[in-house]
Parts: sequence; structure tokens; C-alpha cells
Amino acid sequence: MQINWLLIGIGVTAAVVLLFRDWRLTFPALLLNYISLAIFLAEQKFVAPDMILVGQMSTLVLVKLITGVAVTLILTLTALTFSREYGLENLDEFGLSELRRAARAAQRQRASQPFHMSDYVVPFWAGILALFASTSLPWIYAIAPTPAADFAWYWLVLTGVLTIATASDLLKIGLGLLLCASGVDVLYTAVVSTPSASGLNVIPLALLSQVHILLALAIAYLSGLLYGRLKTLELNELYKR
Amino acid sequence: MLRAFSIQPSTFNIHMLYLLLIFFPITMAASAFVLRKNSGLAISIALGTVITCMLIAAQIPLDNPTRFVGVTLTLNALNRMFMLLFLALGGFAFVAAWHLPHGENFVPTTLLLLSEISGVLLLQNPFITTLLLAVTGLSAVLAIVDLPAGTSSLVGTRAIAAALKYLVLMVLAAMLMYIAFVLTDIFRPGELPGRISLAHFILALLAVSFALRLALIPFHAWLIDLMEHAELLAVALVITLLNTSSLLVLLMAFQSFPTLLIENELSLTVMRIGAAISALLGAGLALGARSLRRGLAYLILYNCGMVFYGLSSVSTLGLTGAVFGALNQTLAVLLLLVSLSLIERPDGRTPGVQRRDLLRRWPVAGMGLLAGGLSLIGMPPLGGAMSHLLIYQAAAEKGWPELLALLAATLLAGLGLARAAHEHLLGPSEDEVVPEPLMLGETELDRPAPRRLAPEPRSAAALTLILLLICLTIGLYPGPLLTTIDGAIRELAFIRAL
Repeated sequence: MQINWLLIGIGVTAAVVLLFRDWRLTFPALLLNYISLAIFLAEQKFVAPDMILVGQMSTLVLVKLITGVAVTLILTLTALTFSREYGLENLDEFGLSELRRAARAAQRQRASQPFHMSDYVVPFWAGILALFASTSLPWIYAIAPTPAADFAWYWLVLTGVLTIATASDLLKIGLGLLLCASGVDVLYTAVVSTPSASGLNVIPLALLSQVHILLALAIAYLSGLLYGRLKTLELNELYKR
Repeated sequence: MLRAFSIQPSTFNIHMLYLLLIFFPITMAASAFVLRKNSGLAISIALGTVITCMLIAAQIPLDNPTRFVGVTLTLNALNRMFMLLFLALGGFAFVAAWHLPHGENFVPTTLLLLSEISGVLLLQNPFITTLLLAVTGLSAVLAIVDLPAGTSSLVGTRAIAAALKYLVLMVLAAMLMYIAFVLTDIFRPGELPGRISLAHFILALLAVSFALRLALIPFHAWLIDLMEHAELLAVALVITLLNTSSLLVLLMAFQSFPTLLIENELSLTVMRIGAAISALLGAGLALGARSLRRGLAYLILYNCGMVFYGLSSVSTLGLTGAVFGALNQTLAVLLLLVSLSLIERPDGRTPGVQRRDLLRRWPVAGMGLLAGGLSLIGMPPLGGAMSHLLIYQAAAEKGWPELLALLAATLLAGLGLARAAHEHLLGPSEDEVVPEPLMLGETELDRPAPRRLAPEPRSAAALTLILLLICLTIGLYPGPLLTTIDGAIRELAFIRAL
């Protein structure tokens, strides 16, 4: 049996996003996920190659790579600039004191929350469940033209949904949504490019990439707002006050 | 030049009109964003844009499809009516923004939304419309967490939470919708016997995704959060523009894939019952709501349930009722939320006290609130009456239990509105000062000057009155609109097929 390394790449990188909480790990995993996905689409030959760069590949692959790089850059730049303060000059004394109080509370929370193995138990078992479902669904309810494509989209959508369900911070929710969008992207490319379907159209493909980028921007904007307000991205703090 | 490119002038012009409708508001949104600190100028620009777009929409010939970059663009009578309505609502929202609280980016965001919704109404490709609906959800997030220019306060954590919830649910709804449309692309009736029919799966995906977008119970949490924690003008945009356009997309989906309806009779019954339960629960929750905003949110949920019931009845009567109901809902919700926004303005009295005399204090806004609520529950002679009647007729065709459920929902919603009116609007005036006799040595000059309470802002009050009159006119003379909607519904292929 031939091992599909790209499928393993997609699986492992999505699993890293599901399991880990630190953005320094999850963002590179997301970028690798986009790269694996782009090369996977090229390998499956859903679209005829129309470019000669590194071997023969289609423009579609290049678009997916650019989208992945743009999305990861947006999120990484946001995460790197969290420590900066914006728009404080307009705030009154009450607002400033609220910010100081939020900063103290976030500092206390960070100090009182060391590494707990138990934080990873639910995402781990969720991942196992997603793996079981993604390996069995291509046989039970095949939709895409190949089992590999079926596994890829089922796995991405399921890990995405489970990432959202088990997320404890806002960036992780964004990563889950992006994984879901990638899953739908694979499904669209794989299914609509089959001879019996209507065929791929450039505008939906462009809009899909735009949705990825806008989603990353929206998450970055909300993360910036939340961090600026509470000095943390933890969701439980958002609902506590 | 046109001859050189072998393009017929008329086709070229129609292309330009379509593209102008989509891209002109975007460019003006960019201008309004640059001028966002100067609220008056930004609003004037936006009003000019809306009027221009309305003129362009009126110029486009109906049912004249044209291809552009491999995509079909067309405008039918129903979509043109809703496009003009959405543009008019955008204009009303801009007028309301003169005096009512709104965020710094409200004007550019609204223009952006109008452009995206024009795209939804013009482009006849389910994949593109789904992605555009997703983009509208992402754009609306900007309006939800927006703060007024130069404000000295921080954005509320609850507003951020509401925006996040809205973002997640709208993206998930778009993903489900997209998967459904991908599946419709390969669906062939009668294929693959022995496994669950793809038609059931597709309809289930569509039902959940549209239930999320239309805030049907139990997918309604985002609407309640928005109503409680976001600026009301932003909420009005989300409910009027985004929800109603979603409804039109669902209608387009039925039109494009009529086999889904033919193969799913049982699933449609489940959808109808779900919609009736949603209306019933929404009305029941409105009766027990603990705040005015929450109560009105549940009234809107009730109305969404009624409209969705009409749509899932898949009959001429029900669909006409649903589309007419959606039109009335947009007007009633805008009237309701503009009035509520007026009522919640600081009025010179001690803040933080629950008032019971809001109709006396704010007569125009109080009347608007009552009229909007009554229109939502379908009380004659307001706009919602005829659509409710049509939906009741559609329910009667399906059997008396469904009709009874809808009537019970309306009764509960009416009681909920009556309770809200009793608790917040119809109480005695709280400003009547009982003249006390002068104390020894005290003169009239020693007494503090009588308190003068600010009147309702003229532009917002005039807007409320105009919206109220429109609701009343539609209620009294529903004929012209009803004829257009009925004609458009009868033309739908799936209605003829069924």
C-alpha cells in the first residue's frame, strides 16, 4: 500500500492545531496545513496543470499557497503586536483604570495557571474521535471522487469543528474556522471538478480565498480588541465580566 | 472603441450597470471610511450613493441575464423590489444615524454590506452567493464592535462576545450552505440506492444553515446577544439586510434545485413543524422576557419563525406570505429599533431607573415601538397583517394542528407585546411635579428652575413617523406589492412543478 505523505501532513498539522494552545506551534502548523493541502490538490490532479514552476502545477495551487501565507502572516503579525497599546489617548480615567485592573487580573491568571496535562485530554480524545470518523466516513458516505479527498475534507471539517468546540481562546476559534473553510475548499475543488459536475469557476475560487483572508482579518481584529480590553485572549474571561 | 472590442453597446451598458451596483458602494465605502471622523459628510456621501444605486437599479432591464467572467448576472422583479427596499433601508439608517448612537465605521460598513447584498441579489451562482453571505457576516462584525468616533470609553466585553458568537455561527452557516450546494452539483435523483438519499442530506444542511442565519430557535442565541449588547442601528442592519437576503437565497436555492423539494416531502413537514415551534417558543419567551430589548428580540424571533413557516410550506400562499412577511419584517424591525434607540437616549432624568412612562416621554418613539411590535405580530391595519393571513391560510391547508400552533404563537406574542407596553410605555407620567407650598421665608426665586427635558430629535422623529406611515400604507393597500410578489412566486419553476 502506498503511503500518501501529503494526507499525513494534512492530518498531523490539523491535529497539532486541535491539540496545542500556543500560537507559536499552531500558526506554523496552519501554514504547513495550507502547503500540504495545495500540493495535495496538485497531486490529485483535480485541475489540469497550466504552469511550469517546480514541475507542472496549476495556478490553483499557487493561489492556495498565497492564501495560506497571507492568512498565517495576518495572524502572526497580530499575535506579535499584542503587547502594543493602541488608542489610549482618547480614554478617560475610568477606562485607563479598567485597563490596569484587567492587566493585573490577566497577570494573576497567567501566574496561577501552570501547564496542566488535563487541558489536553478533551482535545486528544476529540482528535481520536475525528480520526475514527474521517477514516470510516469515506467508505460509509463517499462524496468526493477519491477516498483520499474524502478523508481530507472530512478530517479538516471535523478537526475544525472540534477545535472550535474545545477552544479556550479566541485565536484557536479562528484556527478552527479556517480549518473548516479549508475542508470545504477541498470538497468544492474535488467534487465540482469531476466530469459530471458543473466545473470549477474562477470567481468562487477567488472568493473562497478571499473568505479565508477576511476570516483571518476578522479574527485578528477581534483578538486585538479583546487583548486590548482584557489583556488576555481567554474566552472564560470574556464571559466572566 | 466598443466596436473594436466587438461588444454590443447595450450589453456593455448592462454589464456596467450591474458592476456599478456592486462596486460603486464599495468605492464610496472607502471614501466614507476616510471621512469617518466627519460624521455629517460621511452620511451625506452615503445618502448620495444610496440614491444613485436606486436609480441604477431602476434602469436595469428585468429578466435579462448576461454573462460576465463566466458568471450569470440577472435581476428579476422580486429581487429588484428587495434591492430597492434594502437601499431605501440603508438610506433610512443613514438618516437615523444623524441623531442616534452609532459606531465610527457604521456608514462605510453599511455601504459595504449594501454592495455585498447587491452582489447576492444579482449573481445567479449558489457558490458565489453563499460566499458573499459569509462575507456579509464578516463585515457585520465590524459594525457590531464599533465605537463612536473619539469616544472615551472601552468597547464592552459583551459586545465582543456577541460579535464572536455571530462570526462563528455565520461562518459555520456559510460552510454548511456551501457543502449543500456542492452536493447539489453532483446530485442526480434516484442514484445510489441503499444509502441515505443525498436529497435528505442536502435539505438538512440547507435547513440548519438558514436556521442559523435567520435565528430560528434553537439557533437564535446570536440575535438575543446582539440585541442586548450591540448598537441598535447595527442590529437593525443585520436583521433587515442580512437575514432577508438569506431568505431570498433560500428561495433561489429552491428555484435552482426543485428536485430537493419533490424528494423531501417528509423533511419539509419537519421543517414546517420546526418553524412553528420556533414561532411558539419565541412568542412564549417574549411573554416572560426580563428586559425590553430581550422582549423585542423574542418578538423578532417569533416573526422569523412565522416567515420560515411560510417558506417551508412550499405553496403559493405560504411563499407569498413569507416573502411579503420578510418585506414587512424589514420595515417593522427598522421602525422598532430606531424607536427603541430613541427611547434609550439619555433624557435628562436620573439614569439607571426603569421608566414606565416612555410613551408620554417620547410620544413618537413610543408610537413607533408599539406600531413596529404590532406589525410584527400581524395586527391590522399594519403591514404584517396580510402576510400573517396568507401564512395562516397556508397552515390551514396543511391541517388544523399547524394553524392552531401559529395562532397560539401569535396570541402569546401579542400578550408579550402587551406586557412590554404595560411595563415600559403606558404608565402614568413620572415627571408631574406636585406644587408644594412655599416654606417660611422662601420665595419663588429661591426654588430651582423647573427641569426642561429634551424633546425628540426632529430628524429621527420624522424618520420614525415616515416608517410608521409606510407600515400603515402597506397594511391598508397591500395590493400593488402583493401582486408583484404573487406574480414572481407563481413564475417559480418549483411551484409549477409541485
